Amino acid sequence: MNVSSKERPSTQTRVLSYAGALLETMDAALADHPNTFIMGQGVDDFKGIFGSTTGLAQKYGADRVFDVPLMEEGMTGVAIGAALVGDYPITTHIRADFSFLAMNQIVNLASKYSYMFGGIMSCPMLIRLVVGRSWGQGAQHSQSPQATFAHYPGLTVVMPSTSQAILDMYPQIIARHPGPVVSIEHRLLYNLDFSASAETPSKPIPLTSYVAREGRDVTVVATSVMVLEALRAAQYVAEKAGIEVEVIDLNSISHPDWELVIGSIRKTGRLVIADTSWLEYGVAGEVCRQVMLRDPSMLRQAPAMLGMAAAPCPTAKSLEDIYYPSQHETVEAILAQVRGSGHGIDLPVERSMTEGYKRFRGPF
Amino acid sequence: MDSDERYRRLFRTALTIRLVEERIIELYPSDRIQSPVHLSIGQEAVAVGVCDALNPDDLVFATYRSHGFYIAKGGSLDKMFAELYGRIGGVSKGKAGSMHLSAPEVVLMGSSAVVASSIPHAVGAALSFKRRGSSRVAVAVFGDGATEEGVYHESLNFAALMKVPVLFLCEDNGLAVHSFKNARQSYNLLEHAATFGIESRRVDEGWDMLAIRQATLDALSVVRAGRPFVLEIATGRYKEHVGVGDDFHFGYRSAAEIDTWKARDPLLLDGKLVAELKPEIDREIAAAADFAENSPFPGRDELLTDII
Ligand SMILES: Cc1ncc(C[n+]2csc(CCOP(=O)(O)OP(=O)(O)O)c2C)c(N)n1
Ligand SMILES: [Mg+2]
Repeated sequence: MNVSSKERPSTQTRVLSYAGALLETMDAALADHPNTFIMGQGVDDFKGIFGSTTGLAQKYGADRVFDVPLMEEGMTGVAIGAALVGDYPITTHIRADFSFLAMNQIVNLASKYSYMFGGIMSCPMLIRLVVGRSWGQGAQHSQSPQATFAHYPGLTVVMPSTSQAILDMYPQIIARHPGPVVSIEHRLLYNLDFSASAETPSKPIPLTSYVAREGRDVTVVATSVMVLEALRAAQYVAEKAGIEVEVIDLNSISHPDWELVIGSIRKTGRLVIADTSWLEYGVAGEVCRQVMLRDPSMLRQAPAMLGMAAAPCPTAKSLEDIYYPSQHETVEAILAQVRGSGHGIDLPVERSMTEGYKRFRGPF
Repeated sequence: MDSDERYRRLFRTALTIRLVEERIIELYPSDRIQSPVHLSIGQEAVAVGVCDALNPDDLVFATYRSHGFYIAKGGSLDKMFAELYGRIGGVSKGKAGSMHLSAPEVVLMGSSAVVASSIPHAVGAALSFKRRGSSRVAVAVFGDGATEEGVYHESLNFAALMKVPVLFLCEDNGLAVHSFKNARQSYNLLEHAATFGIESRRVDEGWDMLAIRQATLDALSVVRAGRPFVLEIATGRYKEHVGVGDDFHFGYRSAAEIDTWKARDPLLLDGKLVAELKPEIDREIAAAADFAENSPFPGRDELLTDII
């Protein structure tokens, strides 16, 4: 899948996995910026955060890429201290859930540093979180905290859904973003192959939202792996029912391109929101808030929302499979928006999305 | 009690843990267990020696690597297998899986998969026991890596300050995932405990169930007198950090390090006793796996229950 961007004319493409894009941008950051270092549990081991840092400790040395003890809050505070004196730290959490131990440093310190001191100090840094899903990750290895972090002014939160999104955002963030950035990566995406641009963009690409597929009948605003789910559903309803879905990848969660989002909803009058987390007090609520503030009448009917069930994540597969929205439900939500609940169109039979992703050999 | 009889009892529990986990290894490729597993093969003696020294109502908080403590504390094999299979007959109706085993009926409290997070829970339970004048004690089980987390230090300080009956039990397998202890720690656990005025002891013979049992009894006499204690037991993790395979081929550690543990492992050395006990344990495990197999999957009605 190729994220279409107005800033980037169509170029040569290549196939690149999500993990490959991460490794490439981590490598480039170390090569291009001598003040950059990467620290986190396991960043220098043979698994290298699912392949996103493998070999970098050997290439750049143990003072640039290093393992840390179990010390999430301490590590984040250390990163802030280093950033305050001019380094660019990149920290990792192999599960987003473990960043909650660092909440104090991220929320009470990093997010406030610029404002609280009247703009005379800043701590630019990148905090990489990986969201787990499937194979019984359970309640403590599966949380997707975009709403949590985006709630705090001072934090920039992104959720790359493709290799291209990583190639576009990470170099910009590392080279010039003035404050702390929380990037929420998704474990299901790591092994997927994407089509990506073979050339580096000639000018900086701002952190923003994208139209991932154009359409006129209904707008789906999605995050992370749900962008792929929305695109699969869009293709299905186009083939089965000639429905044209516009899919928007919110991508820059804390600072989306609201004009783009609202413009699309105005055009289609129909809205589905597909997020990787809970709907309560989350991305879905924020998208609706933006609509309400402008003109609720742009919606022809109540919007539909897809997210995790309002419970901690169960381990049993039979529950996990219904805990997350399935392709079946995504298609149903889109069809019901456009044709009403009596649409009479066959739904895809797919019991478990994660099995589909395991079998999938791409590229998207 | 006859010391031979005691040895047999401990041995049988340790063998049960080993055979259960070996069965898990066999079953894993069939995808019946769709959840991460952190095996305690090689570390059984710790759970067995410690739990045998406890009174039945003494409370234990363990970790994601707690098949051993679950079995040693007396948790039901049927419910364990059903939990691993994600079935309604499991301890937690399939909502917990391997990482969050518990058995409240034998006061094994909830296991957490966030490292070090349940250490203060044991301190809290011990505080409550003390407030109520109970003679029960609480045990916090954790790995060597967990002692790096801030909450470990906060818990020790508070336990010493409040003089609560808690046993801090460190299973020192020298590894946190693939990272060796000397690359992570600048302190010595016992000296560190001493700075809080907490008594401590290290047992190097982590294969020796009877020695661990005795060391635990000695520690408990301090704890029951109202003083926290740190007991560190050296042990060896035979398998990969998570999953059912070996991990020597990745090159980060050598099989030789584990061979020294294997050379003293009673479950490997005492073939005669294994042969004698194995058939009955195998039958129990087969029955538990059958129970799991025949237990239904939790349905949609379970998705939104138990939340608050
Ligand atoms: C707070 C937190 N950080 C990181 C992890 C990832 N993690 C899981 S187990 C583990 C190693 C813990 O080592 P140790 O405490 O020695 O226990 P062992 O696995 O050796 O039994 C790590 C880093 C986690 N689960 N929780
Ligand atoms: Mg360890």
